[in-house]
Amino acid sequence: MPTTPSLSVLDVPFDERPDPDEYIRAAMEWHFGPDTGSPFWLRRAASLDFDPRRDVKGVADLALFPNVTGELREVPVRDLIPQGYGADARIVGVFESGGTTGAPKRIVCLRDWLDRLTYGLSADLDGLGIPRGVDWLAIAPSGPHMVGEMVAGAAARHGGLMFRVDMDPRWVKKLISAGKTEETDAYVSHLVEQAAYVLRTQDIGVLMTTPPLLERLARHDDLIELIGRKVKGIMWGGAHMDADTRDLLRTEVFPDCELYGTYGNTMILGGATERLGLGPDEPCVFDPRTPFVTFSVVDPVSGEPVPYGERGQVVMNHVSKSCLLPNNLERDLAIRIPPPEGGVGDSVADVGPVAMFDDEVVIEGVY
Amino acid sequence: MSQPATALDALDTLDALGPKGPYRSRHRLTVSDVTGAPMAELSLVPRLFVTRALAALRAAGTPPLEERLAALKRAGELFATGTVAGMTAAGYESAVCRMSGTPLANVRIAVEAIRLSATEAFRSVQAARPVGAVGDWRDPYARTGSAVWIRRGDVFAVHAAGNHPAVHALWLEALALGYRVAVRPSRREPLTPYRLVSALREAGFGPDQVVLLPTDHDAAGEILRGADLSMVYGGQEVIDRYAADPAVLPNGPGRSKILITADRDWRDHLDVVVDSVARHGGTACVNATAVLVEGDPAPVAEALAERLAALPSLPPHDEKAVLPVHPLEVARGFERHLRTKAAGARAWLGGDGVVDDLGDGSAALRPAVFQLDDPRDARLGVELSFPCVWVAPWTPTAGVAALRDSLVVTAITGDEALLDALLAEPSIKNLYIGDHPTHWIAPGIPHDAYLGEFLMRTKAVIRG
Repeated sequence: MPTTPSLSVLDVPFDERPDPDEYIRAAMEWHFGPDTGSPFWLRRAASLDFDPRRDVKGVADLALFPNVTGELREVPVRDLIPQGYGADARIVGVFESGGTTGAPKRIVCLRDWLDRLTYGLSADLDGLGIPRGVDWLAIAPSGPHMVGEMVAGAAARHGGLMFRVDMDPRWVKKLISAGKTEETDAYVSHLVEQAAYVLRTQDIGVLMTTPPLLERLARHDDLIELIGRKVKGIMWGGAHMDADTRDLLRTEVFPDCELYGTYGNTMILGGATERLGLGPDEPCVFDPRTPFVTFSVVDPVSGEPVPYGERGQVVMNHVSKSCLLPNNLERDLAIRIPPPEGGVGDSVADVGPVAMFDDEVVIEGVY
Repeated sequence: MSQPATALDALDTLDALGPKGPYRSRHRLTVSDVTGAPMAELSLVPRLFVTRALAALRAAGTPPLEERLAALKRAGELFATGTVAGMTAAGYESAVCRMSGTPLANVRIAVEAIRLSATEAFRSVQAARPVGAVGDWRDPYARTGSAVWIRRGDVFAVHAAGNHPAVHALWLEALALGYRVAVRPSRREPLTPYRLVSALREAGFGPDQVVLLPTDHDAAGEILRGADLSMVYGGQEVIDRYAADPAVLPNGPGRSKILITADRDWRDHLDVVVDSVARHGGTACVNATAVLVEGDPAPVAEALAERLAALPSLPPHDEKAVLPVHPLEVARGFERHLRTKAAGARAWLGGDGVVDDLGDGSAALRPAVFQLDDPRDARLGVELSFPCVWVAPWTPTAGVAALRDSLVVTAITGDEALLDALLAEPSIKNLYIGDHPTHWIAPGIPHDAYLGEFLMRTKAVIRG
């Protein structure tokens, strides 16, 4: 019979990884303890057909939970803050999902989690040789979206000032789904123009943006030249990047920049980051920072894990002191990859929509 | 008939041909023959590759006219007879007919059309030059003031079709005019443009003069965006989409037609009608889609059906093959579509279906002849990519209206007022008078106006 775990494991130093199962058990004690848990989870626990403190003994048991993220569209966000923080809860902000699958979902981000997240990002950038103390430009969503805050935090931790070009992803999605190609194009040109002002006048060492924006920047030879001259690292996320595009960016367009990918999501309060040191013909693998964030890649019909190397749907868990969002079946598809040494759950590669071809027969007309 | 040798051995990867040379992507499409057997792996380039390639074309210069023409001529000969990218001409012909289901004889016609277009490129494009324009400011006429014929841009993109290899003859004119050209091949039949671009490069065109950019749908639009002018092939929806875009020349359904008035005996012209319907396996926009007859159309339909019924169903690589071949399921799709469209029409041929299963996963599409009662029936414009023809009565009251929206009208009539009206009708693109098949074509004769009319403009020049 395991003893009640010490809650201190939830506060392990940033450079340490706790024992995954011990960590999960401690988190259950915290989130479902009557004095420490959030009003949301304490209320929700009553309708669960299991007792998280008794039955969830490790990462694998997170699958017992229902997917509650749909409830985040309406729940009062103050109810999401664990009471155990007391009056000391340091709130970074309230953030929302992009609203791709309906009304936005809301989470509350606490300082201790953002610090842990940005510590990991900064350590990765050290690993890539991206210098500290250089300034950043983020062409990325801000406002209700967490990514802006995450990148700002990473820039600050890495010693940089951050310049921002704001992107409203919901508006872009609306334009695209309405078939308003010209308006979409004009909006993206507007973003590129704003970025160009910063790139021309400021000493930018790190650029953060999305793959489509990188492609748009690459239409302009003068901006390619500016970025090549100034920027040491490009951090990308928020959209799929295929292996050929990644290779072209690395070898032809921005050969003097380190490319660093993130696969982010509001429902994990951050992102999984690119495994460093892989060759150009290896897939871009994203490792979540376990056991805080864990993935599994499953068959969308059976819910069972797909074999390694096969494509499936991504299930995400976020378990930190600040937040609990277990067993969330995301819309993303990815290839299941074994985790790195010491990791738990799955890593993912080639995240994105199913490869589709449109070679349907054109019946009428002869072309 | 034995299976042709493994003609694609040396070419089982079809690389993109970019501005720095061949490019093999990780994202590839398996291209199969009509029986479903894989033939080649086609490299599909990402959007960023397209952006970069078109920028390279834009940055490149244009070689002098004489160099271009000489290289075109060499490329045409090489394409038609040489070994290009490791593939012999015979190997190519065999491979492309298995891949596309185009009968071997038609492939040979296409090869000759491409060779001729390359060889005669200068004569062809000069035919389009306005009589008031000269080709260069150094021309003596420019001293006292003249128009000079200039390009409307530098980079020309082609979204090619896969219905017939001969579609690749036309864009060679753009190279002759000094355009840098980007071709997006059809993914059903990328082999012809691959061979042609390879031949152009072997003949002296730099990789920054002509590129082959196979893409999936996502990156296809980037080719149009990055080019100054483009030509696209497609169905009616393509025509509609680009109708208002002055930078895009859409090539849509041909809906070519034959009109026989009562002053002519249709029996004297049956050969031309049959040939118009069936040549090229019925897969070209210049094939007759409809035959309009003044008087009773039934005997014409009956005779046409009898002649077309005699065409043999054969694998495409058979020397005697004349009908297009498709994977069985694709062929059945055509058949279902035809059945829906033909409901209520009088079937003279093909009423029981048009799919002839060749037993190897592929099927020949057999000819169809249907009779309609009204020259205003919209089905006269239903164009399918096999010999399929709608026969209907025509009256002077129905007039030119019944022949609108045609790439070619062959008018077998002695009525000069009617011929005047047909010539004046803007939606009839070409008018052949008398005993000429709708697919007649010759160097220097416009297909759907001269391509040069789209690619070029005039500029006033005077010098001292």
